[in-house]
Amino acid sequence: MTSRATTFTRRVATTAAPVALVLVVLLLALNSNGYVVTIVGFAAIYGIFCTGLNFFMGYTGQASFGQNAFAALGGYGTAILTATYYWDPVAAFFVSMIFAGIVAAIIGYPTLKLRGHYLAMATFALGLITYEISIEWIDLTQGYMGYSGIPPLGVFGFELATEKQQLVALALLLLLGVWISTRLRDSRFGRALRSIAGSEPAAQALGVNVARYKLAAFVIAAMYASAAGSLFAHFVGFISPEVFGAAMVIQSFTMLFLGGIGTTWGPVIGALIVSMLPEVLRGMHLKELQDVAYCIILVSILIFAPKGIFALIGEGVAAITRRRATETAPSAAAAQAAG
Amino acid sequence: MAMLSIRNVTKRFGGLVANDNISFDVEQGALFAVIGPNGAGKTTLFNMISGFFAPTSGSVHFDGADITGRPQYQVSEGGLVRTYQLVQLFKDLTVAQNVMAGFHRVTRGGVASALFRPGWMRAQEKHIADKTGELLDFVGLGGRGDMLADKLPYGQQRLLEVARALAAEPKLLLLDEPAAGLNVQETAALADVIERVNQRGVTVLLVEHDMGLVMRVAQRIAVIDFGRKIAEGAPAEIKTHPDVLAAYLGGTEAA
Amino acid sequence: MVDMTQLLQSLVNGVGVGLIYGLVGIGFCVIYNASGIVNFAQGVFVMLGGMVCHTLLTRLGLPIYLAAILTIPIVALSGILIEIAVVRPMWNRGAALFAIILATLATQLMIERITILTLGDQPRSFDEFTSGGPLKIGDIAIGYQIFWILGCGALMVGLLWLFFTRTTAGRALRACSQNREAAALLGIPVSRMLMLSFALSAALGAVAGILVTPTQVTAYNVGTPFGVNGFIAAIIGGFGSAAGALAGGVLLGVLQAVAIVMFGAGFKNVAALSVLLLVLFIFPAGIFAGLQGGKAH
Repeated sequence: MTSRATTFTRRVATTAAPVALVLVVLLLALNSNGYVVTIVGFAAIYGIFCTGLNFFMGYTGQASFGQNAFAALGGYGTAILTATYYWDPVAAFFVSMIFAGIVAAIIGYPTLKLRGHYLAMATFALGLITYEISIEWIDLTQGYMGYSGIPPLGVFGFELATEKQQLVALALLLLLGVWISTRLRDSRFGRALRSIAGSEPAAQALGVNVARYKLAAFVIAAMYASAAGSLFAHFVGFISPEVFGAAMVIQSFTMLFLGGIGTTWGPVIGALIVSMLPEVLRGMHLKELQDVAYCIILVSILIFAPKGIFALIGEGVAAITRRRATETAPSAAAAQAAG
Repeated sequence: MAMLSIRNVTKRFGGLVANDNISFDVEQGALFAVIGPNGAGKTTLFNMISGFFAPTSGSVHFDGADITGRPQYQVSEGGLVRTYQLVQLFKDLTVAQNVMAGFHRVTRGGVASALFRPGWMRAQEKHIADKTGELLDFVGLGGRGDMLADKLPYGQQRLLEVARALAAEPKLLLLDEPAAGLNVQETAALADVIERVNQRGVTVLLVEHDMGLVMRVAQRIAVIDFGRKIAEGAPAEIKTHPDVLAAYLGGTEAA
Repeated sequence: MVDMTQLLQSLVNGVGVGLIYGLVGIGFCVIYNASGIVNFAQGVFVMLGGMVCHTLLTRLGLPIYLAAILTIPIVALSGILIEIAVVRPMWNRGAALFAIILATLATQLMIERITILTLGDQPRSFDEFTSGGPLKIGDIAIGYQIFWILGCGALMVGLLWLFFTRTTAGRALRACSQNREAAALLGIPVSRMLMLSFALSAALGAVAGILVTPTQVTAYNVGTPFGVNGFIAAIIGGFGSAAGALAGGVLLGVLQAVAIVMFGAGFKNVAALSVLLLVLFIFPAGIFAGLQGGKAH
């Protein structure tokens, strides 16, 4: 039986501690120089992206290698609407997000019928198609050269002019995103998703419309991705096809797997750690070298810690305590006998 | 009016006739068993009833509606809930979470209510939590709610699967070889649970090959051999039915 | 109206590049048959084939034949490395299918980035194997390289056939593709077969890369398009037979070439990817149901 104390401890571990971590990182970033602000901002944006990806891959147990397509939709939607048509950023944000959701629903319907390698290749192709279109449809996207002059994020005419102001907004949006993810996970909706991940036949036998719930998770993931794309565009002020290329797929998977796929906070913590890496490893300012590092980390995690580093640490701790327990048990028995 | 009515069901796979013109009725509140030697076509029959695939000809009526060839989730939504021969638990979830997922059919709510948690939603969650504890007690897994489902011994995983199916409040519970892989004690515990499920008013259709279990719990039995129904009746009749004896003693195995 | 010469010309070009797709497609099949894994880093072998050969030509000044022959084992070695360092540990642990796919995808990106870091990001090319040409038939120009592609393509298929039917290793590999458990019971070292299939597949990719580079260019990022097109070729061919993949590749190459004439080159990759999606949507269970979903093993 769950006692009240353990429920409380669990609440602290799963909600309060990560929220505190995000706030502490935010405060540290606000008191440091521009470069750190940029890195933490990227971490928040990727955190939002990965939280969405986690819906589809973690909770629902499906695979998509093309979520970057929807980030590109959000990014270019925001860029075009705000920089060329002078829309309000909030309106552009939501319109792009809804557009991405609709596209995901239309594309997802035939795509999610596929299984195994076909599903993987089809989703991968989605990302490639968007990438190619963003290069070739120059009238719309300005091609290889990218789209610049995107205004910073603003709310109702009030522009968040400095990076630090934007960072606060990003952190709040990230917390909102994780809050939504947590709420949805611990609900009838979330249980249906997780039952699909557990066993599709069993989910079906319990009356879950598997195809519909998979599609719902895919659409939600796409909307998160679009939001992340829009925020990236505002935060940097510039986007290009490369921003939403294959490297983004690998980088986001590295974050997701490092932090722990299927957990509510794993994607955020993974995003934070991976975004910090170039800082930690000195001389890693070359983009290509960073990508190589991400790939090596991702492959290592996939091989050695498929449930994320925290699960790995947890297993390690459990193994040590078990060994301790077996070591102390005889001596305790001896003490008892002596007493 | 029977709860489940199988009418002249035939299933062909290419040239192979897996089920040949099978008919029987399961009355409301009954504990009905379908038995037969290995390869007799039990699983095929089971899969057609649960909507896994459609029969080549014939019909399946459930609770007054024709469900022939309907997709499986719709059949389940209607109240015909099945378990699988190989346990299909949600391994990464806890025991309690497994049961909670079972309430899908009898609860409501989507994304919006999950986000804003109106009063009825909170009441529903409370109800789910209470009923989950009750169901776990019912199958003898009380106090194991926080364990990972994967960590349960096999016999208890079976019981958990039954508890999860009960969460869906089935009108008819279909059990596909529930005793497969269980030892004698585990089978006895399962038999006890099946009997008590039936006493709660749930109609049970059991497809099984463990004779001991069937003879102990079933009120009525249909016997299938080579895809055909060769006998139907009370356990006592079946035990002495010459065709059944021939099928079991002269067939692939003795039970 | 598209004029006839242009159309015929594009047919010729399409056959050439289509055979290359076919070779890549065969590479997919070799690994898939041995292991149930689709190696998403398949295209990278084509890129490496071109890049390594170019490097041997320019930095060491080797003649093309020597450079080409040296390139093949070097790239095959990269395939073996991928198998040992990435695929096998996951395979042994029984990792989920999509995790293995993801790992191969990451490997592709990693090799591309290392290529940029060591060889630069500029596209490059080298001369056709036989100088002179193109051969003119009416207004249609046929570059000599196409004959090399045809000849080497046929040679590869012939060698593969000999390997799979006449050698112990080849027969063992075929046994694995039919039933891995049974093969293991018969004492066939299934994991070594996995390594062999990666080496073979990489070698095929290298041959494709060496052959195709003179007709276009190679750069760090050509792997993905070749990989995707090779995958389509393999799907059209039923994901099992070498001849099917070659035929699928030629069909795809010709379709693409004609599409370029009609719609322009800009969206050629978009068109290829759309074809892929369409093929997948129309045959969600796979053409000839050759490729099964689910776990890798």
